[in-house]
Amino acid sequence: MSNTKSQQRNQPSKTEILQGTLDLMVLQTLTAMGPQHGYAIAARLEQVSGGAIRLNMGTLYPGLMRLEQRGLVRAEWRVTDTSRRARFYSITASGRRRLETEKADWERMVSIMHALFQPQE
Amino acid sequence: MLREWLNRLWGSLRRNAREREIEEELRRHLEFAAEQEGSERAARVAYGGVTQAMESMRDQRGLPWIDNLVFDLRYGLRTLRKSPGFTSLTVLILALGIGANTAVFSMVNAVMLKPLAYRDADRIVTLSTLWKKTGADQPSVSVPDYHDWHDQNTSFEAMAYFQAGDTAVIAGPAAEFAADAAVTNEFFEVFDVHPVAGRPFSEEESKSGSGAAAMISYSFWQSHYGGEWSALGKPLQLGGHALRIAGVLPPGFRFPEKTDIWFPANTMFRESTIRAAHNVQVVGKLKPGVALERAQSEMTAIGGRLEQQFPQSNASKNIKLRKLRDDMVKDARLMLYLLLGAVGLVLLVACGNVANLLLAKSTTRGREIALRAALGAGRARIVRQLFAESMLLALMAGATGLVFAVASSRALVLLAPANVPRLENTGVDGRVLGFAFAASVLACLIFGLVPAIRTTRVDLNTTMKQIAAQNAGASKSRFRQALVAIEIALSAVLLVGAGLFIRSFAALHDVALGFKPEHVLLMETSVTARMTAQQAMPVYKRLIEEISSIPGVIAAGATRTPPGTVRSNGPYWVDEAPTPQQISVSRPLAIFSYAGPGIFAALGVPVHSGREFRATDTFDAPPRAIVNQALANRAFPGQDPIGHTIAVATDSLKPMTIVGVIGDVRQLGPASEPVPEVYMPYEQHPTLSTFLTIVARTTADPGQMTGALRRKAREIAPDVPVKITGFEDRLSQNVAAPRFRTLLLAVFAALAVALAMAGVYGVVSFIVNHRTPEIGLRMALGATSQDVLKMMLLQGLRLAIIGLAAGMAAAFAASHLLSTMLFGVKPTDPLTYAAVVALMAMITLAASYIPARRGARLDPMAALRNE
Repeated sequence: MSNTKSQQRNQPSKTEILQGTLDLMVLQTLTAMGPQHGYAIAARLEQVSGGAIRLNMGTLYPGLMRLEQRGLVRAEWRVTDTSRRARFYSITASGRRRLETEKADWERMVSIMHALFQPQE
Repeated sequence: MLREWLNRLWGSLRRNAREREIEEELRRHLEFAAEQEGSERAARVAYGGVTQAMESMRDQRGLPWIDNLVFDLRYGLRTLRKSPGFTSLTVLILALGIGANTAVFSMVNAVMLKPLAYRDADRIVTLSTLWKKTGADQPSVSVPDYHDWHDQNTSFEAMAYFQAGDTAVIAGPAAEFAADAAVTNEFFEVFDVHPVAGRPFSEEESKSGSGAAAMISYSFWQSHYGGEWSALGKPLQLGGHALRIAGVLPPGFRFPEKTDIWFPANTMFRESTIRAAHNVQVVGKLKPGVALERAQSEMTAIGGRLEQQFPQSNASKNIKLRKLRDDMVKDARLMLYLLLGAVGLVLLVACGNVANLLLAKSTTRGREIALRAALGAGRARIVRQLFAESMLLALMAGATGLVFAVASSRALVLLAPANVPRLENTGVDGRVLGFAFAASVLACLIFGLVPAIRTTRVDLNTTMKQIAAQNAGASKSRFRQALVAIEIALSAVLLVGAGLFIRSFAALHDVALGFKPEHVLLMETSVTARMTAQQAMPVYKRLIEEISSIPGVIAAGATRTPPGTVRSNGPYWVDEAPTPQQISVSRPLAIFSYAGPGIFAALGVPVHSGREFRATDTFDAPPRAIVNQALANRAFPGQDPIGHTIAVATDSLKPMTIVGVIGDVRQLGPASEPVPEVYMPYEQHPTLSTFLTIVARTTADPGQMTGALRRKAREIAPDVPVKITGFEDRLSQNVAAPRFRTLLLAVFAALAVALAMAGVYGVVSFIVNHRTPEIGLRMALGATSQDVLKMMLLQGLRLAIIGLAAGMAAAFAASHLLSTMLFGVKPTDPLTYAAVVALMAMITLAASYIPARRGARLDPMAALRNE
């Protein structure tokens, strides 16, 4: 029992993997799809990842709150297509700028990793 | 980064609203999810519960420490509200301490910290005469010296001299006294003031011996001309001249002192050309970027050259520079620091008291704290909680103290000696608020931290048990006793200071002044508005005669300087006729006075030998003089001075025949020794006697005679302004500073002693409660209530002995700070120390007696059952 627990602890949890990239994913989703409420963002990510990423509310909402506090997204209460109230998030100008730099960093990192994993000549 | 913080802060502040909003958002999420997943349960499985999600958002939402602080403050407020008696007592004690400190600080702020209201005020300096032999400096400077300083320096942008006076002017229907100043032409450049109406002095008006012009203050313009522009160019009668008003200076500018009229120096009154005559004051404005030190060293070099050049008048004479503000407050500074230090001790005693109250309270809260600790609160968390409570107390006390300070600082200003400059600016400004806040926080650190740490230093396992609580109580009691001993020590220090001041003040009162000020009225007069000096003499003669004949007036005379004012001094020669070249500052000095017949009888100064002045000592009669005993002893040891001659450097160097010797008078106030004096008949020195004080000794209450004197003066000489004061009132101004500091220190000491005694009472009560079972046991074993009483009183006495020993040592070490402010008593005066020890020991016993008697009256059975 205790063995499995410590094993679990050694393996990075899903949230930890997501921590660094969650911001990027949310910002990208909002750019691609325009203003969305929290559930729609989670659903979209789930769909895009083919079900690999399923965000718990305890992960998603603190992340959204952090983005909001940093001024990267803006939130307001609106009515959905099905006439229900929901809190809609949209990306701000500084959010867009942040996304651009993060994206570039990400692509650079990917290419470095890619080069690293290539079998040496 | 900053934005995130602000948003978090916002999240902390509007916590409840935000919480509801988040909850709704999460519920919506689950609703949307439920539609997709088919059931609410499936949604919850997929996305987690609302409560858990909210929990994980809590850290992100706000600033945890602010949330904790808000919680702590709320909790603290609830706790304090639950014991209103404790809270109000604590707040009151602290508020007294903080309030007294803030009030004194508001004076310090007004006098020493607020910038002067002149442009570039920190470049304005005063230049005074420095006597290198004694190291003392005096504000008065000789005119020829000033001209050399002015012409030779490169450090100053502008330099000017001024000569202030209180002169008769006629600006309206009646003559009155007005503060005036003769100023050289760079004077207004030094202060960078320009007329708000009219124009500056023209070159013509500033030329030596030229016609007269005047600048008036804004308030004089308002009060005498209703602020009308027609005032410009109107004549103003002063010194027998009609001065045309050239301009009006901006509101608030009254330098020096409370001047209303400025006129160019060396115009209608010629300036002195004697280097040994020091009668003007000098101010200058440094060039931008020139440091005071650099200017000082340049002026020292100039002074050194003048020493070489004019050894007779300038030997060992140099120049001292000071920032104007420092110069203005130099006399008040020591007193203000002393008061600030004393009142700081009061705050310390108050803090000791509050710490004691908190500790007493913490014994009852021991269980609550142990419970919180057992439930998992960290020690730091509990300390913070207790500290937040102390902070609340301190801030409430600070706010209350500020109210006290506002109320009492008005009283302080009224009580303070009138010669403390800028005191009228005392009030609450940002700096005073900051001080009150800082004092509260500091107080909180002192009284709050130690009890918080001590209270929480408990062992979890044992505190819940009774026995350990008893042990903790014992160590707490020792700590509380130490606190009270410190309070006793601090208040004993204050009491010694107050005692020394009281003894010194009494000594000042007991000094034989050499004259009798009781029932004496002083009527200051000045004839210079419309008359020349020659015309004035008959007016004075008649005035004195008529006033002596008013019923109720026993004796009347006139003098240029009643005791307590010194207007001129200089060297004297016995039995020789000096030449102007012989005037030198290195000769022995005497004070010069000009007086008329009847003056010594009116003042109550005894004539030791020879005669008083007579009506026959007129301008045409042979020159006469009267000397005091101090001069007779010094210049004529073992001889009778009558018939010898004396010459002084005033309007003439002619030797005068000495016709009388009178008793010594303490001219410079009760704390200074009598010095040699020469009196001359005013009629023989008319130019120096244009303003005289008529002295009238009355039978009745002098206050009732004021009207009669004023009417008589108005009737005889309507052009002569008069200012009437009781002599005793005037003299009380001389001791205003000692009276003020004595009173304040006595009040502070009383406050501290009262607080310390409350502490003694508290601690002895605590001991009695704590030892109730032991007392019961002792009594059951045969101890009488007398024995118990003695035992408890000894507890109090022990505190007194430890506290007093420390207090006396501290007072002894610190008392030399007072030595310049003491008169007739040494800082180590054994009587004062003994009295303080006796007094404190007695009061401590009295404060311990009440709880001790309660202990002695315990019913042994009940006390034992208490266990």
